[in-house]
Amino acid sequence: MNERADNGLAIEARGLVKQYGDEVVAVNGLNLSIPDNQIYGLLGPNGAGKTTTISILTTLLEPTAGEAKVLGMDVVKQAGDVRRRVGVTFQEMVLDDELTGRQVLDYHGRLYRMGKAERIAKTEELLALVELVEAAERKAKTYSGGMKRRLELARALMTTPEVLFLDEPTLGLDPQTRTRIWDHLRALKEEGGMTLLLTTHYMDEAEELADTVGIIDKGKLVAEGAPQALIEEMGADTIHIIGEGDRDAFVENISALPFVQTVDAGRTVIQVGVDSGSKRLVEIVSQATVSAFAVEDITVAKPSLGDVFLKHTGRRLRDRESNQTQHRTLLMN
Amino acid sequence: MGATVTLWNKQMRKFLANPEEMFGLMIQPVLWVVLFGVGMKSMLSADAPGSGDPYVTFMLPGIAVLSALGGAIGGGSVWLTERLRGLVKEYLVAPISRLSILMGNALSTLTKSMFQAIIILLVGVILGAKLRSNPLGWLGGLMLIAGFGLGFSGIALSLASQTDNPGAYHAMIMVLNLPLLFLSNALYPLATMPAWMRIGSLLNPTTYAIDGLRQMMFQDPGTLPGSDVLPLWLCWVVVLAFATAGMWMAHSAFRKSIE
Repeated sequence: MNERADNGLAIEARGLVKQYGDEVVAVNGLNLSIPDNQIYGLLGPNGAGKTTTISILTTLLEPTAGEAKVLGMDVVKQAGDVRRRVGVTFQEMVLDDELTGRQVLDYHGRLYRMGKAERIAKTEELLALVELVEAAERKAKTYSGGMKRRLELARALMTTPEVLFLDEPTLGLDPQTRTRIWDHLRALKEEGGMTLLLTTHYMDEAEELADTVGIIDKGKLVAEGAPQALIEEMGADTIHIIGEGDRDAFVENISALPFVQTVDAGRTVIQVGVDSGSKRLVEIVSQATVSAFAVEDITVAKPSLGDVFLKHTGRRLRDRESNQTQHRTLLMN
Repeated sequence: MGATVTLWNKQMRKFLANPEEMFGLMIQPVLWVVLFGVGMKSMLSADAPGSGDPYVTFMLPGIAVLSALGGAIGGGSVWLTERLRGLVKEYLVAPISRLSILMGNALSTLTKSMFQAIIILLVGVILGAKLRSNPLGWLGGLMLIAGFGLGFSGIALSLASQTDNPGAYHAMIMVLNLPLLFLSNALYPLATMPAWMRIGSLLNPTTYAIDGLRQMMFQDPGTLPGSDVLPLWLCWVVVLAFATAGMWMAHSAFRKSIE
């Protein structure tokens, strides 16, 4: 293996800032420490700075301030070395679709100066891995969305990267195809020797794949940890309340209750972490009555990464439908 | 260098797999020579001296150089498409130099232009143009076409790096294209032009590429009434300077676009 001037960190960022023009700050003092052989999921809504972060780490953009290292190498000063040792898939489909699947992989290998025998062997291996052997001689423009994504994944793996960056790897794919991509990514991790940084705004994706999740909002990391640990911090159950009236008094009153572990008042939803949802529901509702707060909708659910996100950002991620928790809605009054 | 060859190879393979593009590329210059050359010839040749067909001999270098110009516009279009579709990002994350990415595009454009130039010359010869017998002269002529093509490729790539709108790209190219064509010695001899046009033509690198080509490849370049001959060394200097300046423009526009 190559020598590494680091401390077991595949990716390291200190005070990373990217500003466009005078106003737009896409990344705002981001710190990251990602150890080797991990799947790290950068979770955040659109515009949170995920793609900009990946662009800096893959040397496509230079940071306005701060520094970033990949495999111990500075992404600005040692950009060439970083490029040789990482693989990338982009958020949008980036495929020369006039080429066949096999040609796409072969030309990619040539750009990285792989020898012919090595290119042929690697192409066969990867076509098998992403199950595109039969489609290999067809032009990529005849592929379905999922096949194109798999081909892009194979292309990123062509050069046997030590760090793989995946920007929204399953964006716009149907559920079956997403599951297949997840299987491929898990297989890669099990093979070992590779660090994966993936961005996503699907909470289930982060929960399914990532060893560590970093929640990013407005260009900053607002929470980080193993998905399960982050969820457990939320309490055993989460009660979501929507209503009208004296919100402040209501929030104050329920915060004082002994069994309430967390209260996060978002713009519309008040989120309450409790030891047991079904047991405490009545007490919460009676507090609402006392506080002159008219409850319109109340649900109890096992907390999810989505609730963690809501807690740290005060906003929901857009896709509630991919949240795999069971909801029980009790319509009041 | 390796990356330039790889990207050149990729573009060529796509070209060879696309019969429509190949057909268009071959037919377009033939139409120029036949429709324009033959039409003009019937107006001019009655009083033209010399052997062979003087007007076809005169205008053939112009058509060859202007086809290289058309090729460069196409190359800029390919580049713009690759940028807009994000394909350039695949090159940018690869450990290759930025210049080699542009050179890959420019060289594949050049290859197509050489292909076109040869067809044009063949058709021209069939129609009566008189070539010189020295093959080194032919080679020199092709090199002049290549140098001019590289320079204009640079301009096209630079424009295509600065806009995100194919319509705007083609509009800007047209503004350049027309004066480069008509404000030159491609279709009319310099001496027959009004003074302001002659000055414009002498500021146009196209004129030097065409004049150099006439001298290196064709017999009796000065025999058409009013056609005068520029110093050959000057033609080479201007074409090489144009090639260098074009690629420099493309490189700096590209760098700015990825900052």
